[in-house]
Amino acid sequence: MPPHSSPANSSAVTFRGVERHFGAVRAVDGVDLDIAPGEFFAMLGPSGSGKTTCLRLIAGFDQPTAGHIEIFGDTVEGVPAYRRPVNTVFQDYALFPHMNVLDNVCYSLMIRGMGKAERHKRGAEELKMVKLFGMEKRKPGELSGGQRQRVALARALVVRPKVLLLDEPLGALDLKLREDMQGELKTLQRSLGLTFVFVTHDQGEALSMADRVAVFNEGRIVQVGPPQDIYERPRSKFVADFVGGSNILDPDLVHVWTGVSSPASLRPEKVGLLAPGADCPTGSIVVEGHVDQALYHGAVNRIELVSLDGRRLLMTIPAAAPLPRQGELARAFFDRRSLHVMEDA
Amino acid sequence: MTEAFVVAAPQETVPRRVSDALMARRGLFLLLLLAPPLLWLGVVYLGALFALLAQSFFSIDEYSGTIVYEPTLKTFSELLQPANFDIIVRTLVVSAVVTLLATAVAFPIAYYAWRYARGRVKALFYVAVMMPLWSSYLVKVYAWKLLLAKEGAVGWFMHAAGLSVVLDSWLAAPIVGGPSLSVSYTGMVLVFLYLWTPFMVLPVQAALERVPVSLIEASGDLGASPGQTFRNVVFPLALPGIVAGSIFTFSLTLGDYIVPQIVGPSSLILGQVVYTQQGTAGNLPLAAAFSVAPILIMGVFLTLAKRIGAFDAL
Repeated sequence: MPPHSSPANSSAVTFRGVERHFGAVRAVDGVDLDIAPGEFFAMLGPSGSGKTTCLRLIAGFDQPTAGHIEIFGDTVEGVPAYRRPVNTVFQDYALFPHMNVLDNVCYSLMIRGMGKAERHKRGAEELKMVKLFGMEKRKPGELSGGQRQRVALARALVVRPKVLLLDEPLGALDLKLREDMQGELKTLQRSLGLTFVFVTHDQGEALSMADRVAVFNEGRIVQVGPPQDIYERPRSKFVADFVGGSNILDPDLVHVWTGVSSPASLRPEKVGLLAPGADCPTGSIVVEGHVDQALYHGAVNRIELVSLDGRRLLMTIPAAAPLPRQGELARAFFDRRSLHVMEDA
Repeated sequence: MTEAFVVAAPQETVPRRVSDALMARRGLFLLLLLAPPLLWLGVVYLGALFALLAQSFFSIDEYSGTIVYEPTLKTFSELLQPANFDIIVRTLVVSAVVTLLATAVAFPIAYYAWRYARGRVKALFYVAVMMPLWSSYLVKVYAWKLLLAKEGAVGWFMHAAGLSVVLDSWLAAPIVGGPSLSVSYTGMVLVFLYLWTPFMVLPVQAALERVPVSLIEASGDLGASPGQTFRNVVFPLALPGIVAGSIFTFSLTLGDYIVPQIVGPSSLILGQVVYTQQGTAGNLPLAAAFSVAPILIMGVFLTLAKRIGAFDAL
């Protein structure tokens, strides 16, 4: 059944078999996607994985080579960006340099023909919402990166689009600001009840903000689900490794421990270091090896162990424990249940 | 056991000491760097300009034809005589028309080069725009005179295309017309347009190159149709380039005295008047007074451009 005739399609954004080719390169290679209304949706992946192209396809800056896209039930192929109920916060913010902050925020209202007094009032309210005060008359060139982002956000939200797209929204900010902004974006999205779709290569950002995450690799979505699912139950080596980093255990080893001949993922923080002479907790698996590298990371120590049969095991343990020396013999242990057997390689 | 590598301290040579001293006193360094160009600009350029302006406050004795070295505004008042004032107005109109047409012709070219031309095509664009500047100015003007003459290529083409009526009725029109294109204002404006268009294309294109494509996308994203995006984003951001180009096309037309001599009607243009007044007529004060006119006009032009916010995007 063709998707556009499906009864009461309740998706905010729908992709069906969407492809986008640039010459011989398949930037987007058969993507199916359903983003629910009011959802905070993350598209996560390395650069060149097709996530930004998908965002541009929703915005209308680009058209699919094949497939079908709907926004709130309306087919949007061939509909130009300026007729879509979607606004974007650009990675470089794309503020108009010749307009002051207020005129930037009021741009879409001005385009819609709203009177000056009314749109300035609306714009001022919008700036208050993003906590930017007393900057109305400044030019974008006079603002800091964080302030510019708030202007871009206010400008995109002023007409309450059905879907807000954010392209690496926090990429250009420093760490402290980025963490503050994560919380603020989440609060904003909840209070407005709008659908937010954002693109990021930062797994921390995706996991902390999104209701659901789609992991992209080589133009395809390799896994989609709530952050806990993605992190706890990665479906493939790629997801396990890209999201959070993981030990990928070979099928033969996994077979010995679990009886299943599939690769398994083991998160570094699930592995502990056994004190010398201590007994192994019941139900645990112990791996003996030499310490190859031990680094102090502040909150945690990051230790790489090479087992006696030459396999590498990465672990992060609370920094309270003393840092082992390189070459020292050590015993690592983990709960059998921490092993996550993956469906496909 | 351990062998230490010792890097020898740099020797205290004279050039070294000089450079140390210069680095320590940044002001002195800057002064030394800037002195020659400032002297050139101050003495040779501004000096000559002021000498010229000073001339305009003298007058000429009408009987002996000698210059009276007494400050007076008499020469300036001569500018306001109908015959002289007409020349200024005529020149102003021609310059303005050339500038407007140059903008109209140059903008699409610059826009195309910015939005669509890449790599080899872009290189070709630069060559194509600059190529007219590679050949002699006089050769180009005389070539145009031939093209525009009554029996010239333009007339022949119009005839062959069955458009003789159009050409004839254009030539029959007042002011823009004349016996043939080569002796009409239309011809003069066309030649100016040809000569100065590169000076408009390049600054406009440079201004557009600095506009990130994301601004165009953002405008569309916020609901602006391509036309609205052009009016609200592209054009304002290109305006500094258009103004820069206009300074070229406007002032080059304002001061030119060769083109109007070769192509166009017999009525004089400002540059020609300056040329004849300081040459054959020997009336240096009047020539100087005429030269002040373009300076004032450019001053007014730039003030207006600033007033409408042409430089806001700089």
